[in-house]
Amino acid sequence: MHSHVGQGEVVLERILILLLFLIGFAGIVGMRNIIKKIFGLTIINSAVVLLFIVEGSRIGNSAPIIDAEIGLVVDPVPQALMLTAIVIGVCVTALALALAFRLYKAYGSFDIDEIHRQVHRES
Amino acid sequence: MSGRARRILFLAQIALCVLLVAAVLIPVFLSSMPWPLSARDYLQANGLAESGASNLVSAIYLGYRAFDTLGETIVLLVAISGTIAIIAHGGAVLAQGYGLPSGTASEPARHLPPKTRTELLEVVTGKLGPVVLVFGVYVMMYGHLSPGGGFQGGVVIASGIVFLALGSRVDASNSLTSPENLVRIESAAFALLLLAASSGIISGSGFFGNPLAGAGLTPVAFIITLNAIIGLKVGAGLGFMCIAMLGRGK
Repeated sequence: MHSHVGQGEVVLERILILLLFLIGFAGIVGMRNIIKKIFGLTIINSAVVLLFIVEGSRIGNSAPIIDAEIGLVVDPVPQALMLTAIVIGVCVTALALALAFRLYKAYGSFDIDEIHRQVHRES
Repeated sequence: MSGRARRILFLAQIALCVLLVAAVLIPVFLSSMPWPLSARDYLQANGLAESGASNLVSAIYLGYRAFDTLGETIVLLVAISGTIAIIAHGGAVLAQGYGLPSGTASEPARHLPPKTRTELLEVVTGKLGPVVLVFGVYVMMYGHLSPGGGFQGGVVIASGIVFLALGSRVDASNSLTSPENLVRIESAAFALLLLAASSGIISGSGFFGNPLAGAGLTPVAFIITLNAIIGLKVGAGLGFMCIAMLGRGK
Protein backbone atom coordinates (compact mmCIF):
# COMPACT_ATOMS: atom_id res chain seq x y z
CA MET A 1 0.00 0.00 0.00
CA HIS A 2 2.72 2.41 1.00
CA SER A 3 5.61 0.72 -0.69
CA HIS A 4 5.31 2.60 -3.98
CA VAL A 5 4.63 6.13 -2.84
CA GLY A 6 6.91 8.74 -4.27
CA GLN A 7 9.38 10.84 -2.34
CA GLY A 8 7.09 13.88 -2.57
CA GLU A 9 4.25 12.07 -0.84
CA VAL A 10 6.59 10.87 1.90
CA VAL A 11 7.67 14.45 2.57
CA LEU A 12 4.06 15.66 2.49
CA GLU A 13 2.98 13.03 5.03
CA ARG A 14 5.84 13.94 7.34
CA ILE A 15 5.08 17.65 7.10
CA LEU A 16 1.43 17.02 7.95
CA ILE A 17 2.44 14.95 10.99
CA LEU A 18 4.89 17.68 12.02
CA LEU A 19 2.06 20.22 11.75
CA LEU A 20 -0.11 18.01 13.96
CA PHE A 21 2.71 17.88 16.52
CA LEU A 22 3.12 21.67 16.39
CA ILE A 23 -0.63 22.22 16.80
CA GLY A 24 -0.49 20.16 19.99
CA PHE A 25 2.55 22.08 21.19
CA ALA A 26 0.90 25.43 20.44
CA GLY A 27 -2.09 24.24 22.44
CA ILE A 28 0.10 23.42 25.44
CA VAL A 29 1.94 26.74 25.28
CA GLY A 30 -0.83 29.06 24.19
CA MET A 31 -4.00 27.88 25.88
CA ARG A 32 -4.86 29.25 29.30
CA ASN A 33 -7.38 26.53 30.07
CA ILE A 34 -5.73 23.49 31.68
CA ILE A 35 -8.13 21.07 29.99
CA LYS A 36 -7.11 22.44 26.60
CA LYS A 37 -3.47 22.06 27.53
CA ILE A 38 -4.17 18.38 28.24
CA PHE A 39 -5.83 18.13 24.83
CA GLY A 40 -2.61 19.49 23.35
CA LEU A 41 -0.64 16.78 25.15
CA THR A 42 -2.94 14.14 23.67
CA ILE A 43 -2.54 15.61 20.16
CA ILE A 44 1.27 15.45 20.49
CA ASN A 45 0.97 11.84 21.58
CA SER A 46 -1.18 11.03 18.55
CA ALA A 47 1.30 12.76 16.21
CA VAL A 48 4.18 10.65 17.51
CA VAL A 49 2.16 7.44 17.22
CA LEU A 50 1.16 8.36 13.66
CA LEU A 51 4.76 9.10 12.71
CA PHE A 52 5.99 5.71 13.90
CA ILE A 53 3.15 3.74 12.32
CA VAL A 54 3.37 5.56 8.98
CA GLU A 55 7.15 5.27 8.79
CA GLY A 56 7.10 1.60 9.74
CA SER A 57 4.49 0.85 7.11
CA ARG A 58 6.64 1.95 4.19
CA ILE A 59 8.60 -1.30 3.86
CA GLY A 60 5.69 -3.66 3.37
CA ASN A 61 2.15 -3.85 2.16
CA SER A 62 0.16 -6.11 4.45
CA ALA A 63 -0.64 -6.23 8.16
CA PRO A 64 1.99 -7.95 10.33
CA ILE A 65 -0.03 -11.13 10.66
CA ILE A 66 1.50 -14.25 9.17
CA ASP A 67 -0.92 -16.28 7.12
CA ALA A 68 -0.90 -18.20 3.86
CA GLU A 69 -0.53 -15.26 1.54
CA ILE A 70 2.93 -14.41 0.37
CA GLY A 71 3.96 -10.81 0.66
CA LEU A 72 6.07 -8.46 2.68
CA VAL A 73 4.47 -7.39 5.95
CA VAL A 74 4.97 -3.95 7.46
CA ASP A 75 7.48 -3.59 10.29
CA PRO A 76 5.78 -4.85 13.49
CA VAL A 77 8.38 -3.34 15.84
CA PRO A 78 7.11 0.27 15.72
CA GLN A 79 3.56 -1.02 16.13
CA ALA A 80 4.50 -2.88 19.31
CA LEU A 81 6.36 0.21 20.55
CA MET A 82 3.36 2.41 19.89
CA LEU A 83 1.13 0.00 21.79
CA THR A 84 3.23 0.90 24.81
CA ALA A 85 3.14 4.59 23.93
CA ILE A 86 -0.65 4.61 23.68
CA VAL A 87 -1.04 2.98 27.10
CA ILE A 88 1.42 5.43 28.66
CA GLY A 89 -0.43 8.27 26.92
CA VAL A 90 -3.69 7.16 28.50
CA CYS A 91 -1.99 7.04 31.91
CA VAL A 92 -0.54 10.54 31.47
CA THR A 93 -3.88 11.95 30.34
CA ALA A 94 -5.71 10.38 33.27
CA LEU A 95 -3.21 11.70 35.81
CA ALA A 96 -3.25 15.16 34.23
CA LEU A 97 -7.04 15.26 34.27
CA ALA A 98 -7.07 14.18 37.91
CA LEU A 99 -4.61 16.97 38.76
CA ALA A 100 -6.77 19.47 36.86
CA PHE A 101 -9.76 18.25 38.85
CA ARG A 102 -7.90 18.86 42.13
CA LEU A 103 -6.83 22.33 40.99
CA TYR A 104 -10.41 23.15 40.07
CA LYS A 105 -11.61 22.02 43.48
CA ALA A 106 -8.93 24.06 45.20
CA TYR A 107 -9.16 27.29 43.19
CA GLY A 108 -12.50 27.12 41.39
CA SER A 109 -11.06 27.68 37.95
CA PHE A 110 -9.34 25.94 35.06
CA ASP A 111 -7.69 29.19 33.98
CA ILE A 112 -3.94 28.96 34.61
CA ASP A 113 -3.61 32.74 35.12
CA GLU A 114 -6.41 32.78 37.66
CA ILE A 115 -4.81 29.88 39.56
CA HIS A 116 -1.44 31.66 39.42
CA ARG A 117 -3.02 34.83 40.84
CA GLN A 118 -4.67 32.97 43.67
CA VAL A 119 -1.49 31.08 44.54
CA HIS A 120 0.37 34.40 44.70
CA ARG A 121 -2.30 35.96 46.86
CA GLU A 122 -2.02 33.07 49.31
CA SER A 123 1.74 33.23 49.61
CA MET B 1 0.69 48.40 28.04
CA SER B 2 -2.76 48.12 26.59
CA GLY B 3 -4.66 44.85 26.50
CA ARG B 4 -4.40 44.59 22.72
CA ALA B 5 -0.64 45.05 22.67
CA ARG B 6 -0.26 42.45 25.38
CA ARG B 7 -2.41 40.05 23.37
CA ILE B 8 -0.22 40.54 20.28
CA LEU B 9 2.92 40.07 22.34
CA PHE B 10 1.48 36.85 23.76
CA LEU B 11 0.69 35.52 20.29
CA ALA B 12 4.17 36.46 19.10
CA GLN B 13 5.69 34.54 22.00
CA ILE B 14 3.66 31.46 21.11
CA ALA B 15 4.68 31.77 17.46
CA LEU B 16 8.35 32.06 18.42
CA CYS B 17 8.03 28.99 20.67
CA VAL B 18 6.39 26.93 17.93
CA LEU B 19 8.95 28.05 15.35
CA LEU B 20 11.83 27.05 17.62
CA VAL B 21 10.34 23.62 18.23
CA ALA B 22 9.78 23.25 14.49
CA ALA B 23 13.42 24.16 13.86
CA VAL B 24 14.47 21.40 16.22
CA LEU B 25 12.07 18.83 14.79
CA ILE B 26 12.37 19.47 11.04
CA PRO B 27 15.69 17.60 10.71
CA VAL B 28 14.13 14.65 12.53
CA PHE B 29 11.04 14.58 10.33
CA LEU B 30 12.74 15.23 7.01
CA SER B 31 15.74 12.95 7.34
CA SER B 32 16.02 10.44 4.53
CA MET B 33 17.34 7.48 6.51
CA PRO B 34 16.15 4.24 4.91
CA TRP B 35 14.02 2.21 7.28
CA PRO B 36 16.01 -0.83 8.52
CA LEU B 37 14.66 -4.07 7.14
CA SER B 38 16.48 -6.58 9.33
CA ALA B 39 13.95 -6.72 12.20
CA ARG B 40 11.00 -7.16 9.85
CA ASP B 41 12.76 -9.80 7.80
CA TYR B 42 13.80 -11.79 10.87
CA LEU B 43 10.33 -11.60 12.43
CA GLN B 44 8.55 -12.56 9.24
CA ALA B 45 10.82 -15.57 8.83
CA ASN B 46 11.02 -16.77 12.44
CA GLY B 47 8.36 -15.00 14.53
CA LEU B 48 5.62 -17.56 14.05
CA ALA B 49 7.88 -20.52 14.76
CA GLU B 50 9.54 -18.99 17.83
CA SER B 51 6.52 -17.54 19.60
CA GLY B 52 3.58 -19.37 18.06
CA ALA B 53 1.60 -16.17 17.48
CA SER B 54 0.87 -15.32 13.89
CA ASN B 55 0.12 -11.74 14.90
CA LEU B 56 3.69 -10.46 15.01
CA VAL B 57 2.81 -7.50 17.24
CA SER B 58 1.58 -9.96 19.88
CA ALA B 59 4.69 -12.04 19.31
CA ILE B 60 6.82 -8.99 20.12
CA TYR B 61 5.06 -7.58 23.16
CA LEU B 62 4.33 -10.92 24.80
CA GLY B 63 7.27 -12.88 23.50
CA TYR B 64 10.40 -10.98 22.64
CA ARG B 65 9.65 -7.92 24.80
CA ALA B 66 7.44 -9.42 27.51
CA PHE B 67 9.56 -7.83 30.24
CA ASP B 68 8.68 -4.42 28.82
CA THR B 69 4.99 -5.34 28.95
CA LEU B 70 5.34 -6.16 32.64
CA GLY B 71 6.77 -2.66 33.20
CA GLU B 72 3.95 -1.19 31.17
CA THR B 73 1.30 -2.86 33.30
CA ILE B 74 3.07 -1.56 36.40
CA VAL B 75 2.96 1.97 34.94
CA LEU B 76 -0.74 1.50 34.32
CA LEU B 77 -1.27 0.28 37.88
CA VAL B 78 0.64 3.25 39.33
CA ALA B 79 -1.26 5.72 37.14
CA ILE B 80 -4.60 4.28 38.21
CA SER B 81 -3.65 4.33 41.89
CA GLY B 82 -2.37 7.89 41.53
CA THR B 83 -5.47 9.06 39.72
CA ILE B 84 -7.77 7.54 42.30
CA ALA B 85 -5.65 8.97 45.11
CA ILE B 86 -5.72 12.47 43.61
CA ILE B 87 -9.41 12.41 42.76
CA ALA B 88 -10.85 10.80 45.82
CA HIS B 89 -9.13 11.96 48.95
CA GLY B 90 -6.01 13.85 48.10
CA GLY B 91 -3.42 11.30 49.12
CA ALA B 92 -5.11 9.71 52.09
CA VAL B 93 -6.66 7.01 49.96
CA LEU B 94 -4.29 4.18 50.78
CA ALA B 95 -4.81 4.68 54.48
CA GLN B 96 -8.55 4.47 54.03
CA GLY B 97 -8.48 1.36 51.88
CA TYR B 98 -9.36 3.27 48.71
CA GLY B 99 -12.16 5.00 50.58
CA LEU B 100 -14.71 2.89 48.80
CA PRO B 101 -18.24 2.36 50.04
CA SER B 102 -18.44 -0.79 52.11
CA GLY B 103 -21.27 -2.75 50.58
CA THR B 104 -24.00 -0.15 51.13
CA ALA B 105 -25.73 -0.69 47.83
CA SER B 106 -28.75 1.44 48.58
CA GLU B 107 -26.72 4.55 49.22
CA PRO B 108 -28.04 7.31 46.99
CA ALA B 109 -24.58 8.75 46.42
CA ARG B 110 -23.70 5.76 44.28
CA HIS B 111 -26.21 6.67 41.61
CA LEU B 112 -25.08 8.98 38.90
CA PRO B 113 -25.99 12.61 39.38
CA PRO B 114 -29.47 13.22 37.95
CA LYS B 115 -28.14 15.46 35.20
CA THR B 116 -26.24 12.64 33.52
CA ARG B 117 -29.07 10.08 33.70
CA THR B 118 -31.51 10.16 30.85
CA GLU B 119 -33.86 7.51 29.52
CA LEU B 120 -32.04 7.36 26.21
CA LEU B 121 -28.64 6.89 27.82
CA GLU B 122 -29.92 4.18 30.14
CA VAL B 123 -31.65 2.19 27.42
CA VAL B 124 -28.86 2.39 24.86
CA THR B 125 -25.89 1.80 27.12
CA GLY B 126 -27.61 -0.87 29.18
CA LYS B 127 -28.38 -2.93 26.07
CA LEU B 128 -25.05 -2.24 24.38
CA GLY B 129 -22.86 -3.00 27.41
CA PRO B 130 -22.98 -6.83 27.28
CA VAL B 131 -22.36 -6.84 23.52
CA VAL B 132 -19.31 -4.63 23.97
CA LEU B 133 -18.08 -6.92 26.77
CA VAL B 134 -18.36 -9.99 24.54
CA PHE B 135 -16.54 -8.21 21.72
CA GLY B 136 -13.82 -7.18 24.18
CA VAL B 137 -13.32 -10.78 25.26
CA TYR B 138 -13.13 -11.81 21.59
CA VAL B 139 -10.48 -9.17 20.83
CA MET B 140 -8.58 -10.26 23.94
CA MET B 141 -8.61 -14.00 23.30
CA TYR B 142 -7.87 -13.85 19.56
CA GLY B 143 -5.02 -11.39 19.88
CA HIS B 144 -2.50 -13.99 18.69
CA LEU B 145 -4.37 -14.62 15.43
CA SER B 146 -6.00 -11.36 14.47
CA PRO B 147 -5.56 -7.67 15.22
CA GLY B 148 -6.05 -7.23 18.93
CA GLY B 149 -4.55 -8.46 22.14
CA GLY B 150 -4.64 -7.91 25.86
CA PHE B 151 -4.38 -4.14 25.92
CA GLN B 152 -6.82 -3.52 23.08
CA GLY B 153 -9.34 -6.05 24.37
CA GLY B 154 -8.94 -4.67 27.88
CA VAL B 155 -9.82 -1.17 26.72
CA VAL B 156 -12.93 -2.50 24.94
CA ILE B 157 -13.90 -4.36 28.12
CA ALA B 158 -13.41 -1.16 30.11
CA SER B 159 -15.76 0.69 27.80
CA GLY B 160 -18.29 -2.13 28.21
CA ILE B 161 -18.01 -1.73 31.99
CA VAL B 162 -18.54 2.03 31.64
CA PHE B 163 -21.60 1.37 29.47
CA LEU B 164 -23.03 -0.97 32.10
CA ALA B 165 -22.34 1.60 34.81
CA LEU B 166 -24.06 4.33 32.82
CA GLY B 167 -27.01 2.13 32.01
CA SER B 168 -27.74 0.55 35.37
CA ARG B 169 -30.89 1.85 37.03
CA VAL B 170 -30.62 -0.15 40.19
CA ASP B 171 -27.13 -0.12 41.49
CA ALA B 172 -27.11 -3.38 43.43
CA SER B 173 -28.01 -5.48 40.41
CA ASN B 174 -24.70 -4.80 38.81
CA SER B 175 -21.83 -6.23 40.75
CA LEU B 176 -19.44 -6.06 37.79
CA THR B 177 -19.36 -2.28 37.87
CA SER B 178 -18.89 -2.01 41.63
CA PRO B 179 -15.50 -0.47 42.42
CA GLU B 180 -14.71 -3.11 45.05
CA ASN B 181 -14.96 -5.94 42.56
CA LEU B 182 -12.99 -4.08 39.91
CA VAL B 183 -10.17 -3.44 42.37
CA ARG B 184 -10.20 -7.14 43.29
CA ILE B 185 -10.04 -8.20 39.63
CA GLU B 186 -7.23 -5.76 38.96
CA SER B 187 -5.11 -6.94 41.90
CA ALA B 188 -5.78 -10.61 41.20
CA ALA B 189 -4.85 -10.17 37.55
CA PHE B 190 -1.58 -8.47 38.46
CA ALA B 191 -0.73 -11.26 40.89
CA LEU B 192 -1.56 -13.80 38.19
CA LEU B 193 0.65 -11.98 35.72
CA LEU B 194 3.61 -12.11 38.12
CA LEU B 195 2.86 -15.78 38.78
CA ALA B 196 2.69 -16.60 35.09
CA ALA B 197 5.88 -14.69 34.46
CA SER B 198 7.70 -16.53 37.23
CA SER B 199 6.38 -19.94 36.24
CA GLY B 200 9.04 -20.16 33.56
CA ILE B 201 11.71 -20.15 36.26
CA ILE B 202 10.49 -23.47 37.66
CA SER B 203 10.73 -25.25 34.33
CA GLY B 204 14.12 -23.72 33.68
CA SER B 205 13.29 -21.38 30.84
CA GLY B 206 13.81 -18.20 32.82
CA PHE B 207 11.68 -15.22 33.83
CA PHE B 208 8.90 -14.82 31.25
CA GLY B 209 10.09 -18.00 29.61
CA ASN B 210 7.43 -20.33 28.33
CA PRO B 211 6.88 -23.00 31.02
CA LEU B 212 5.15 -25.26 28.49
CA ALA B 213 8.07 -25.23 26.08
CA GLY B 214 8.95 -28.88 26.48
CA ALA B 215 5.49 -30.27 27.21
CA GLY B 216 4.45 -30.84 23.64
CA LEU B 217 1.92 -28.00 23.66
CA THR B 218 2.16 -25.24 21.11
CA PRO B 219 3.99 -22.22 22.51
CA VAL B 220 1.00 -20.03 21.72
CA ALA B 221 -0.81 -21.22 24.86
CA PHE B 222 1.46 -19.04 26.96
CA ILE B 223 0.68 -15.98 24.82
CA ILE B 224 -3.08 -16.60 25.08
CA THR B 225 -2.76 -16.86 28.87
CA LEU B 226 -0.81 -13.63 29.11
CA ASN B 227 -3.27 -11.89 26.76
CA ALA B 228 -6.22 -12.93 28.92
CA ILE B 229 -4.53 -11.83 32.15
CA ILE B 230 -3.45 -8.49 30.73
CA GLY B 231 -6.89 -7.93 29.22
CA LEU B 232 -8.57 -8.54 32.59
CA LYS B 233 -6.12 -6.25 34.34
CA VAL B 234 -6.39 -3.39 31.84
CA GLY B 235 -10.17 -3.73 31.60
CA ALA B 236 -10.71 -3.72 35.36
CA GLY B 237 -8.18 -0.93 35.93
CA LEU B 238 -9.43 1.44 33.26
CA GLY B 239 -13.04 0.65 34.08
CA PHE B 240 -12.38 1.41 37.74
CA MET B 241 -10.72 4.70 36.83
CA CYS B 242 -13.58 5.75 34.55
CA ILE B 243 -16.19 4.86 37.16
CA ALA B 244 -14.25 6.79 39.78
CA MET B 245 -14.18 9.78 37.42
CA LEU B 246 -17.93 9.43 36.91
CA GLY B 247 -18.27 10.02 40.62
CA ARG B 248 -19.32 6.57 41.72
CA GLY B 249 -16.16 5.46 43.49
CA LYS B 250 -16.55 7.83 46.42
